[in-house]
Order: sequence, then structure tokens, then C-alpha cells
Amino acid sequence: MRFPVPVPGIKTGASKHVVCYPAKEKDMVKIDLPKTRREDWKEAMIKKMAEMLDKYRSLRVYLDTCVKCGACADKCQFFLGTGDPKNMPVARADLLRKVYKKYFTLGGKIWGRANEAEDLTPELLQDWVVYFYQCSECRRCSVFCPYGIDTAEITMAAREIMAASGIATKYVTEVVAKVYDTGNNLGIWAPAWKDNCAFLEEDLRDTEGIEIKFPVDAVGAEVLLVPPSADNFVNTDTMIGYGKMFRAAGISWTTSTYCNEGGNFGMFLNYANLKKVNNRILEAARQLKVKKVYWGE
Amino acid sequence: MTAKILYIYLPYLAAAVFVIGVASRIYTWAKTPVPLRIVTTPAPKTRGGVALRLIGDALWFPSLFKADKLLWFAGILFHTLLWLVLLRHLRFFLYPVPGWVEGVQTAGLYAGYGIPFPLALLLARRLVLERNLYLSILGDYFTLLLLLGIAASGILLKVFFPAYLVDVKDIVLGLGHLMPRAYDLPWLFGLHFFLVLLLLIYFPFSKLMHSGGLFFSPTRNQRANFEERFVNPWDVPVSYNPNNLFPPEKYRQELAAPAGGRKE
Repeated sequence: MRFPVPVPGIKTGASKHVVCYPAKEKDMVKIDLPKTRREDWKEAMIKKMAEMLDKYRSLRVYLDTCVKCGACADKCQFFLGTGDPKNMPVARADLLRKVYKKYFTLGGKIWGRANEAEDLTPELLQDWVVYFYQCSECRRCSVFCPYGIDTAEITMAAREIMAASGIATKYVTEVVAKVYDTGNNLGIWAPAWKDNCAFLEEDLRDTEGIEIKFPVDAVGAEVLLVPPSADNFVNTDTMIGYGKMFRAAGISWTTSTYCNEGGNFGMFLNYANLKKVNNRILEAARQLKVKKVYWGE
Repeated sequence: MTAKILYIYLPYLAAAVFVIGVASRIYTWAKTPVPLRIVTTPAPKTRGGVALRLIGDALWFPSLFKADKLLWFAGILFHTLLWLVLLRHLRFFLYPVPGWVEGVQTAGLYAGYGIPFPLALLLARRLVLERNLYLSILGDYFTLLLLLGIAASGILLKVFFPAYLVDVKDIVLGLGHLMPRAYDLPWLFGLHFFLVLLLLIYFPFSKLMHSGGLFFSPTRNQRANFEERFVNPWDVPVSYNPNNLFPPEKYRQELAAPAGGRKE
């Protein structure tokens, strides 16, 4: 059964003004991206798009296959919430498809605008920046699409293409840069992490009278725990829970100040950073010589 | 001369464009690597399960049924009727006509009469629903109108203005046996034939490639065997971040201090 949500009529440009803050130069440098938007952004983006098309079958098949039936339209929470037609998954993908048709398909070259082929103008780029960041990559549309077209694949490709020419958002780039700096998304530096763990030990001793260790960087423990970093900062009850669980199970464990975060914002940026952020878990596990990794988030 | 172009040159051109176009499109899909496992769950764990899933997706569009009942109805009706009509038309391509093709003649006939109905429904849906009107492009209308034109001319040929069947079959079989012949046939048949050739030429460049795309869709043709390692064919090695080794060099002093923090 479909959840009876009233489908909004379309309100053109309803969420056009919702734009993310642009990335800061200092963060872009740390994550191997151009400092600011490149002078030759258009050429750089087309070149990156060609590269992506040769690397991702999903991207190519999904751009070719869509029949614009509109089955996905009222499945996107961003469209249901705003009514902006460019937030329909199919219309969101069309922002990329226009440029794909113009530069990479015979149909687009022959029929041009009649086949929705369009050049990557500054106006279209503005739409990219707005609407490709109004997608949470939840992939709900791929469940309902008769061909399994996954708009998240297209959004991620578009973000990677933009990032390659120096266009990204502050929130994402700042978090990824923080991960390389401090090991976690919240920017909790190593001494603070260690201090927080000591505080939890003390707190448990005072309030519940139990002796639980929250080991940090303990080489040779059995398990490396990679929690969401917020668990040692705001949701400390969860961290206490981990400690109690490990004590009850009699497992020796540790957290790492090199990798104390399982969430990966590289996902919202590009493949290189996605892999690098995840690779930290492996690096930390090898450094600490643990046997297992327990990885939340 | 017109007959020669329409019944000899154009059919071979259309067949060549169709075969080469579709083959090259599928070749491009097949050679492009799949870097990540992105299957939409719940998904089968075995290859056999995937085959069943794809056959099911191709035959009765379960995702569309979940998404939009009216669209599902129009879509499945159109595709079913189209299959019946195509099977019925096999009698022009085969000699002698096999028994099973004769068996679907009646069903195919009524399917042909019925096929404008779902097409009109799909067209109306694009025009009436505001959001579908917004996202439709010229190609969407062109495809629907082309199919409607083929269906209408076909029905008229059957009901009111029949062409001489022996000539028609001679043309089609002649094309197949590379002994092409051209006759002067009624213009209505010429129109029907021409529109079909147009469809064949248009096919590889258009959204009609969705018929093949489904089978190359990574969210549908992958398995949910998450316990097996999935290797990215173009994977790039990631190096250590020299700024952040264990224990972090820049925090060495602070880390060496006893825990308990900086007291005021």
C-alpha cells in the first residue's frame, strides 16, 4: 500500500534559494581539491564527466534508460516537501542528462534542444549546485523505478564532477578535512578524546560505583571500536553502554585517536575521499594490532 | 522509384541502423565497469535469483505496481498487447507459417484493435498530470504519436483498406532472403511500413533503449552477497595521510600528559 501523502502541485523554483555555503579554501586544500572554482570550470567538468562515464556503468545506463514516466516524482521527500519540480528525481537527473546528451550522445548532437541537449551554462551550473545538494542519497526512487534507476548514483557523480572543478559545500568539505586533522567528524582532537574517556570512567565510579575502563590507543586489544564521534561528546550514554557491554562480555577493546568516527562524508564528495576516510579504519586496526573491528554508524 | 526506395533501400538502411545502433549501445554498457555494489534490497543472493528477478521486472513491472497503479496498468497493457501484435506479424516473416503463429492470430488481432487505448492513456497522463507535463520532452510525445500512428494505420489496413497480402508477404520475405522486390501497394500500407522503419531507425538513439537498459541496471542485476568481497576493477590505492600518523605527531606532548585534562 502507498502511504497516502497528498502530492503537491508543482511550484516552479520553490526551493531555488536554498543553497549551501561554499567550501572554504583551507578545507579544499586539505582534501586534494582545487582551492576555488577553476577558471576553466566548464571544460574541467566535461572532462571529468567523460571520465565518470567510463568508470561507472550505473551512470551511463541510467542516463540512457530513463523514459520519464514520472513514477519516481512523488517518492522524493524533497519534492513532497517543497513542490519544486526540479526536486523530482527524474528532473534532478535531467540536469545532468542535458549536458550528457549534448556532449556524449549522437541523438543529442543530431536533434539538439529538441532532444533536451543543453550546454553547461552558468545558469545550469547554478541549478546543479542548488538541486544536486537537495538530495539526501536515500535511494528511495530506485525502489520504485521500473529500471532501478538510482538517482543517488547520478547525484554523487554530479557532485564529484563539480568537486573536480573546485565547487563544493562548506559542510561536507569541512567535515572531511576535520577527519584528516583529528580523526573524526566533530573535530575532537586526541587529547580531548582521551580526556573525555577519563571523565566517563570517573563519572561511572562516582554515580554507579563501577570500575569500567575506556581505553584509548591500546595496542594489542582484541577489538577496535569505531563509534560515531558524537558518542563521546554528546550521546555519552551510548559510550557508557559500549563500555558496559564490553565489560560484561569480557572483551578487551580500544578506541583509536587516529580513527574515532565511522561516518563517512567522503560519500557526499568524491570517490577518492570516500575511500580515504574508510581506509582509516583499516589503518587504525593495523596500527593497534587488533583482531576485530566493531564499526557503528 | 518511390516503391523501390520505400520497400528496398529504406528497409535495409533501417535494419542496419537498428542492429548496429542497439549493438553499439549495449557494447558500451557492457564494457563500462561496475565499481561498487549498489543493489537495491531486498535482493536475491544467487545468480539464478537475479535472473528470476530480472525476468519478473521485465514481464510484470513490480516496482511500477508499487509506485503508480494507473501507470502500471497502462504500461503492462501496452507491452502485453505489443507482444501479441508482434507475434501476429510473424506470419509475414515466416514461410510456411508455424502452427503457434496461426494460434495467436485471433488474440493478436484484438490486441491490435486495443493497443491505441493504453497509448492514449499514457499520452493523456503526460498532458493532464502537471508534473508529468513538466518533465516530458519532445521525444516522449514523438514516441507515443509514432506508435499511435503505426497502430491507427494498421487498424485501418485491417478493417477498411486491406492491401493485397500476397504482395506484402512477397516484399517482406524477399527482404529477408536478400531477393528484394518492390510493388505498387496502396499508400496506406506504405505509410504503415514507413512509420515502422522510422521507429526502427529512432530506436537506438532514444529512450526506447529502456528495453535493454533494465538488464544492465546495477541496482537490479547484482546479488546481495554482502559476505563476499566486491572488487572495484579500477580501484586506486590510498596512501597514508602523512599529517596524521599514529600516534598523531602533533599531539604527542598533550597525549603524554596525564589524563584528567587541563585544570583551570
